[in-house]
Amino acid sequence: MSWSDLWNYEFMRYALISSLILGPTCALLGVFVTLRGMAFFSDALAHSAITGVAIGLLLQERMGLSLDPMWFVFIFSIALALLMAWMNNQSALAPDTVISFSFTGSVALGVVIISWLGKYRLLDSILFGSIYANDLKDVICQAILSVIVITFLISQMRAYALSTLSPELAHVQRLPSGMLHYLFAVLVAATVALSLKMLGALLLSALIVIPAATAKLLSVSFRSLLLVALTIGLVVPVTGVWASSQHDLPTGPTIVLGNVLLLFSCYIGKSLSRAFR
Amino acid sequence: MILKPTTNNNSPIQPGLAGICPRISLLQLHGVSVDFGRQPVLKRIDLTLRQGDRLAVVGPNGAGKSTLLRVVLGLLPPSHGERSVCTPPPTIGYVPQRLHFDTQFPLTVEEFVAINQPGPRTWYGGVPRRSRAAIADALQQTGTLNLARQRLGACSGGELQRVLIAAALLQKPQLLVLDEPSANIDRCGVENLSELLRNLHSDLGLTLLFVSHDFHLVANLADRVACLNGELCGLGSPQEMLDEHYLSGSKQRTFAPVLGSIPALERSR
Repeated sequence: MSWSDLWNYEFMRYALISSLILGPTCALLGVFVTLRGMAFFSDALAHSAITGVAIGLLLQERMGLSLDPMWFVFIFSIALALLMAWMNNQSALAPDTVISFSFTGSVALGVVIISWLGKYRLLDSILFGSIYANDLKDVICQAILSVIVITFLISQMRAYALSTLSPELAHVQRLPSGMLHYLFAVLVAATVALSLKMLGALLLSALIVIPAATAKLLSVSFRSLLLVALTIGLVVPVTGVWASSQHDLPTGPTIVLGNVLLLFSCYIGKSLSRAFR
Repeated sequence: MILKPTTNNNSPIQPGLAGICPRISLLQLHGVSVDFGRQPVLKRIDLTLRQGDRLAVVGPNGAGKSTLLRVVLGLLPPSHGERSVCTPPPTIGYVPQRLHFDTQFPLTVEEFVAINQPGPRTWYGGVPRRSRAAIADALQQTGTLNLARQRLGACSGGELQRVLIAAALLQKPQLLVLDEPSANIDRCGVENLSELLRNLHSDLGLTLLFVSHDFHLVANLADRVACLNGELCGLGSPQEMLDEHYLSGSKQRTFAPVLGSIPALERSR
């Protein structure tokens, strides 16, 4: 099936547009997630989306609310991100401990609610995503979010980079590190919520973390890191959608495998080039 | 509180500053105490930093040296007492002891210096065109221009300190505050660092305030030494403060733990 044939199908068109929008956005976010050592944080937020969906379904079924469950994912992810960021700032518990119990606790709550509602079948699409279920409204929301995330990150990039490398230097320059930390947590949560349909809770963090990790192997400067990560974020998801349609493979896992394959190839290439230098 | 510029006629004017300006008081601490909860960390510190000073702060771990620096930088308000600065307030450059980063992270030396350039927070990586000359100048002054395109994580301890100083110079500081600048640097590196800071002091008229455990750096660079152990237990020239005869006087009990924190001095006795 050619690209133009794919474009003729509406569900395929939305899937391709979604991957073109979300791939680079997640990759740019991933540069800062990896720089700030927050890969586990983004993973935890992706998994907590199960609880957001579950609460949305519960309110829909028991209270007659007709709101899309994705809004509850959005609200729950942001609330959990702020809670984890606040608890990490208090320093009473190690950050990985905070993330670990928030992550497992929220997944457990989500599964209990879904089980209570008798909607176990839904778990499959929450865990692995269903990119072909995207509609025009989803694509518009994703486009708006992407513009906000990319604009905000670029406009605050110097502050984020400096506060990550040396919080003391950022304080001396009177940069609002604390506020930026919370805003970053909100951005990750919002991106996770709107990307859930693409890859699902289990695989989503791969879209954020792997392009940046691969770019890190190939880059010598921060500028090249940004360019390479954005290119990988643009090319791999679209190629994944196309390849999965050609070979009748599940789309989310195909995109993740493409990313992992590229990461391993770069890793081996770099190791070999070091060995023969 | 803002101070009116005052001069100190008793202090000799530094050679690099002679004829340029009188010795203006840049910053003063008046009876500054800092408590963390019920724990007093600094007690009644009185300290004046005049333009051209090279003040070293020495003391054992937990003496409150880093807290003192935070008060000087204006990051921590005193629990009691007052921090006052001259008019207009002095620009302060800060050189932290270390950076929190993955040494494999792709960030070049010039990019690191670029993110320290005050001004807009927008950045696309690389060196913004408007900052190129200032960054090259700062790297040149610290002898690190040849490292500009190198990965920051590949710098040695001594090179990294020079890069951090270059980044601080972008603030065009009158006062340069350094937190243990010689940590993780070998003897040769410390001598080079000492020479660099002396040159910056004389060429740019920088006032230096630094915390150090390194006897050689303190002896080579400082013109005054403050001994800190929660309270200020001594302030004078390096000869006065580091002279072991001084220790045989009545204040030995107070000074011994402070100066004992300088390993090289301990060995030299």
